[in-house]
Amino acid sequence: MEAVTTARERLERAALAPVTGTSRWYYAWVAFLLMVIAWGVYAYSRQLHDGLIVTGMRDRISWGLYITTFVFFIGISHAGTLISAILRVSQARWRTPITRMAEFITVVALCCGALFVIIDLGRPDRVLNVIIYGRWQSPIIWDVLAITTYLTASIAYLFLPMIPDLALFRDRLAGRVAGWRIRLYDLLSVRWQGTAAQWRYMGGAITTAMILIIPIAVSVHTVVSWIFAMTLREPWNSTIFGAFFVAGAIFSGIATLIVVMAVLRKVYHLEEYITEKHFVYLGYLMAAFALIMIYGNISEYLTTGYKMEEGAEFHFRQLFLEQFAGFYWFYLIGGLVVPGLLILLPWTRNIWGIVAAALLVDAAMWVERYFIVVAGFRVPLMPYKPSVYAPTWVELSVMAAGFALFALLITLFVKVFPILAVWEVAEDLETPELAPEAGRLPSGAAPEPAGGGSR
Amino acid sequence: MKYAVTALLLAVVVGTAMFAPGGTADASHATLKVMAPANLTAGDSVDIQAVLNSAHGGEAVPGATISFYMDGSFGGVEGKVLLGQAITDKDGVAHLSYLPRTAGEHQVHVEYLTPGEGEPEVATWSHDVSGAPHQFYQSTAGVQIPGLNVWLLMAVLAAVWAILLSVAVRVIAIAGAEPEPVAGAPASRSRATGDW
Repeated sequence: MEAVTTARERLERAALAPVTGTSRWYYAWVAFLLMVIAWGVYAYSRQLHDGLIVTGMRDRISWGLYITTFVFFIGISHAGTLISAILRVSQARWRTPITRMAEFITVVALCCGALFVIIDLGRPDRVLNVIIYGRWQSPIIWDVLAITTYLTASIAYLFLPMIPDLALFRDRLAGRVAGWRIRLYDLLSVRWQGTAAQWRYMGGAITTAMILIIPIAVSVHTVVSWIFAMTLREPWNSTIFGAFFVAGAIFSGIATLIVVMAVLRKVYHLEEYITEKHFVYLGYLMAAFALIMIYGNISEYLTTGYKMEEGAEFHFRQLFLEQFAGFYWFYLIGGLVVPGLLILLPWTRNIWGIVAAALLVDAAMWVERYFIVVAGFRVPLMPYKPSVYAPTWVELSVMAAGFALFALLITLFVKVFPILAVWEVAEDLETPELAPEAGRLPSGAAPEPAGGGSR
Repeated sequence: MKYAVTALLLAVVVGTAMFAPGGTADASHATLKVMAPANLTAGDSVDIQAVLNSAHGGEAVPGATISFYMDGSFGGVEGKVLLGQAITDKDGVAHLSYLPRTAGEHQVHVEYLTPGEGEPEVATWSHDVSGAPHQFYQSTAGVQIPGLNVWLLMAVLAAVWAILLSVAVRVIAIAGAEPEPVAGAPASRSRATGDW
């Protein structure tokens, strides 16, 4: 019992450490991110002043980096849903130390993604016209509804399991941090005292939210895909686009979670809680989705390539042989095959191997979104010379600022809110086989398949 | 000198006499009239009739192409918007079905270009359109499946938001829950503060 108490104390210290201590590197990192964002804001101000002519987008290729990044961010927002909701529904207890990060990635990615839709508008002051003059028949309206609903549900799903931890921060940090923080924790912990009734209410709310959020998340990326697939344009005219987008979203979501996990584990010394087991289990999930993506690509390109309708030949040539061939083969080999091998081969199935696989997946999935958007637009609808799209410094700067904002929000979140789901991990401490020590894999041993663990 | 001035004046008079009737003739090869009601209702289709007759004798001119235009602006650019073209029948009448979409005072210009001639015959039809602006697009294509419409989408959306509202109500219930002591724990401590 004493060992459990000590473990709890260590857990609390680990959860509180990012909030109570700040290194010079932290400030340097935040300053760097702010500089990137400031440069992006300047670039965007040029776009606001001069119009979209400062971008590489024109009438024939009217979507570029912005919409690519929007789709990418919405994709990685699936991290929270999969890791937290699906694994919670399936009672996979190994998830507990990483759920908070996953849920926060979801909220931050959704905010950043939604921002890029507005950035893509030449006249952002007219954004409300989508609502005012919107038509129910338009996939754009479906998209707005799905994303706003998902964002609301994700914030609720992030907030609910955090209530006991916020109360812990409220009680433990009193007098150690600024007054505004204590007031914030007091407000957000909704007078939590850990009574039986409060646990009952919270349990019911979490159960409702976790069941609800799964179909909402699936619907979001399906609807995002329909913005393309509802158009009679050769590369987008596909019935499996929705499923393909959802699979790709979860795939890139897991990869992003692995990367964020690795960084926070290293920076905040969470090795005791985020163990090799978590990387390997998530790696298995990522490998499974790599196989699904490979299957989806073969299914899509074999069926369309076999029939080779008008326009398909142009698209196939630009993807596999000409304009985009280099990057597209990187997506197929470097983004789908190599990560799968890194995870499945025993001598690379470790933290570094899985993080390398995750970085490859993230890069490749961004590239894939770029090809969906830009290569799709490039296929001529009429017998004219194919257009060329080259992103300008404005677009590149704004995109960099978007990724910097993503990193900054996570960095700031970690400084204010509990990085670990303390009460959930603490429950695991009372179960010997789920204690952190059990997370360390013997040398050369492969863990059980993902989804394992019992309550 | 006297003869020279006389010859010059004579040349001017003869030249004027030769060319002036020619210009008049060009402009009056045909006459164009528009027959349509002056007051319309937005959304109600009307048949515009352009009647083309020969200027000399008034015979009907069949087989001629008549163009119908409106003044319009798009993206800050002013210009003529082609409504359509029609061929005159044996009575010299060209028909165009016209659907006014916006209320207000409008003009339709009807034009006939005489083959080989530079200046077209133009007639203008002014009309008032009454009625509030609304969507005139009517979808006719597709398969209408009973029950599969916007109300189904609204119902699903309302159900989702109702469930989210129920989650919010439970959060309020957490805040409003009566404090109760946790068995075996000091009164000032709770699960929130470490006594799980």
